[in-house]
Amino acid sequence: MKTDIETPRKAHLKKFPWMDRLRRGWAIYKQNLLGKIGLSLLVMFALMALCSFIPPLIDKMYQPMTGVDPEITRSTGPSLRHWLGTDFMGRDILSQLLAGARVAFLVGVSAAFMSIVMGTAIGMVAGYMGRFVDTVLMRLADMIMVMPTMLVVLMIAALFGQLTIWTIVLIIALFRWPGVSRVIRAQTLSLKHRPFIEAARVAGASHLRIIFRHIMPNVLPLSFLYMTFRVTSAIIIEAALAFLGFGDPSTVSWGMMLQWVWKTGHMFKAPYWLLPPGICISLITLAFYMLGRAMDEVLDPRLRKEAGSD
Amino acid sequence: MALLDVENLSIGYHTQKGYLHAVGGVSFSLEEGKSLGFVGESGCGKTTLGMALMRLLPPNGVIRDGRILLDGVDLLQKSDEEMREIRWQKIAMIFQAAMNALNPVHRVHEQIAEALLTHNASLDKREAYEQVEALFQLVGIPKDRMQDYPHQYSGGMKQRAIIAMALACKPSLIIADEPTTALDVIVQDQILKEIINLQKEFGISMIFISHDIAIVADVCHDIGIMYAGNLVELGSREAVFNNPMHPYTKALLSSYPTLTGEKSRLMPIPGETPNLIHPPSGCRFCDRCPAAKATCKTGEAVWVKISPDHKALCYQCGADCRNE
Amino acid sequence: MELWKYIGRRLIQIAIIFFVIITVLFLLFRLAPGDPVSRMVDPDMTPEDAEHLISQLGLDKPLGMQYLYYLKNFFTGNFGESFHYGQPVIDIIGSRLPNTILLFTSAIILAALVGIFLGKIASWHKGETTDTVMTIGALVTHTVFLPWLGLILIWVFAYKMNWFPITGMLSEEVWLDPDAGFFTKVLDVLHHMILPLTTLFLIHFGSYLLLMRSSMLETLKEDYILTGRAKGLPEKIIRNHHAAPNAALPVVTSVGLSLAFSINGGALTETVFTWPGIGRELVMSVSQNDYPLAQACFLLIAIVVLISNLVVDTLYAYLDPRIRY
Repeated sequence: MKTDIETPRKAHLKKFPWMDRLRRGWAIYKQNLLGKIGLSLLVMFALMALCSFIPPLIDKMYQPMTGVDPEITRSTGPSLRHWLGTDFMGRDILSQLLAGARVAFLVGVSAAFMSIVMGTAIGMVAGYMGRFVDTVLMRLADMIMVMPTMLVVLMIAALFGQLTIWTIVLIIALFRWPGVSRVIRAQTLSLKHRPFIEAARVAGASHLRIIFRHIMPNVLPLSFLYMTFRVTSAIIIEAALAFLGFGDPSTVSWGMMLQWVWKTGHMFKAPYWLLPPGICISLITLAFYMLGRAMDEVLDPRLRKEAGSD
Repeated sequence: MALLDVENLSIGYHTQKGYLHAVGGVSFSLEEGKSLGFVGESGCGKTTLGMALMRLLPPNGVIRDGRILLDGVDLLQKSDEEMREIRWQKIAMIFQAAMNALNPVHRVHEQIAEALLTHNASLDKREAYEQVEALFQLVGIPKDRMQDYPHQYSGGMKQRAIIAMALACKPSLIIADEPTTALDVIVQDQILKEIINLQKEFGISMIFISHDIAIVADVCHDIGIMYAGNLVELGSREAVFNNPMHPYTKALLSSYPTLTGEKSRLMPIPGETPNLIHPPSGCRFCDRCPAAKATCKTGEAVWVKISPDHKALCYQCGADCRNE
Repeated sequence: MELWKYIGRRLIQIAIIFFVIITVLFLLFRLAPGDPVSRMVDPDMTPEDAEHLISQLGLDKPLGMQYLYYLKNFFTGNFGESFHYGQPVIDIIGSRLPNTILLFTSAIILAALVGIFLGKIASWHKGETTDTVMTIGALVTHTVFLPWLGLILIWVFAYKMNWFPITGMLSEEVWLDPDAGFFTKVLDVLHHMILPLTTLFLIHFGSYLLLMRSSMLETLKEDYILTGRAKGLPEKIIRNHHAAPNAALPVVTSVGLSLAFSINGGALTETVFTWPGIGRELVMSVSQNDYPLAQACFLLIAIVVLISNLVVDTLYAYLDPRIRY
């Protein structure tokens, strides 16, 4: 068999080295208990989010924001009609909860994704360019990291009026990229001096091409790991803002539900209303945390349970 | 009676991949005031042996068989509490300076004093520090550096501090595990001379572990060659150097460049060390041995006595080996 | 005196960062939609007072001059008057700051100490029930939603059990009573502080515990631990004297890194428990459009975060001799 002809299987692997890594990564991930629990919880929430479209279709009164039950105009406990009861305006709590799941994923994933994109780009540029560009960018990152995100959003809300959900997401992303960029920068620095980068430079590749064609693929897995942590903090910040009354009034989020229960004085009277949103926020945070820890093991071989003999 | 008598010691590690036979059936004795060096490549079990003598194996390590007799008392029968007292007072260890052997957040003199205070309840701090001062003088570290932190020391100074610490409780046996690795040659030379002097002055017995046969030959009265967990040759340094018997010893010596003597080619040893989780039957050096015979794999291990203080392990029948 | 040089350098860094923050805030206020003047001048003021204030704050001058006025006012402590309270802002934030510092620093310090202590113990009993219980407990408390936790605590312990007051920092009866001694007043504050303190504490100590636990497990693999065993030291001494001080260092760093997040939590706690601190003041002033007060609160919080960072960094430099020498 000629050695210069690659077998089809080998060629496939070469084209997508990351697929092979993905498969191996999944095998390791599966062994981790935390990861499995986290993933199952997330699947549950994802299902909730998907199901959020169902209640309004059944009956108009199940609309989370505008639903009006002709027979109920105050907060009532769980019943056959409303499995989790109603809020102070007679709206169904369960549909609010499901809608909240949708919002949580939306906010979490978009904010995380945006901050990953920004953080990765800035981290790569800073690490690759070095010197002045690097110093400026990292100083900027330092300054941003010091700021408490939620309070900054508050100030911006003060000045620019009520914020929409997307503005909130954007601002959260703008304040979360520094963490990502630090890690990506460190990774870029270690890659910068590898032979294959030198080779590309010698071959005449422009800086941009090197960054995106060569460095980025090697740095992306790390980005995605950090995305899991970013998601949690984005969800919490949005929930906290909504709780304080600065959320987007046209979206129903879990934080918003807590605000309603608190501000309308039902805190002590309606546990069916107080408990579910809080439990959901806490559980989804837990789920993403477990996911992050499990992924940590996948990416950092030292943390794995399988120990070699040495 | 010898200070240290090790009989048929077998040590292993429980790993995810199975039981690793790290050291198999090693026996030797060490007289008072003498030094014995163990030489071998990485993974041959010499460090494991050193650790086992102090019963400092990691949690997955086990001593399967054998006896360790220190002054006639079997250390393997001792309880943890009793071992704690024996450690450092009877047997001490000198680690590599390159290792993080000293705690970075405590001052050096405190760490040495700690050894003294732990084993001598009647000592007070001031007296302990005075003794530390004397030790520092002994190993040649300036007094004003006593209160520094480990990271402020150079490699050579750290090694000296570690030596001083080992001498603190005046042990009868010191195990030195690669004490000069990772030091530059000039410092290496100084440290080795120090060690020889101290050993002579205090009459301490020493076990010297190294992968560098040249250093061991410099410092030790006797040499033990280890390969793949087995002790394959044991004798005085003159005997082993001038008349190496085991094929591995011969290969080891000829893979070393020398400044004097005839010009000869450097002969690296081909092949790799065997897998110790599933060790080969018979002689473990067989696959790399230029003098291998069919009987090597099936024969019994026999210690061939070449002279009263020199023996080698062989699996071929006795007569053949002597004739080589 | 390495330590002083280190502190000096960090102070300069902080000053620079703070300067940038002030400038950005200045620009934001001017660039936001709406009339900047209405942000600084209470619409209910009389025209003469308004005129006077405008010239005092330099709002009628060009942008550059305004900036200088702005800085001058900041350094002289002149933040204007609160729309809502009708008092000088500096008085208000002055009275709120100690409350925040009291609550916040006690909670964080307690969380760090307990977290480190329990994390150390958890690592000793790795794999056993103690460890599992602590790890799960840390995980759960760490991920609970802070305001919700506060609400639950109020509901259970204040409302249902009546052990603690529901809101505030002080009971009027105690503080208005001329006969009440200092000690009684202190006890009263502490009584009010327990629930908010518990909330902030619970949220934070979990992460410190988990971090200390893994840090200890890593540290116990270090060479100097082997040296300790070889020296014949008792296991307890090895863990407490040799391993723990080293293992605690990353936790100290972590406290510093998560300060911004902690401040968020502090503001939320104050709001839920109606604790009269800076965080709560910021939230309230924003919802009431009390711009001068909001701005001052924000700046003050920024200073608190920066100084806290400095304190933590200095503590770390003190604890790790490799940095000090």
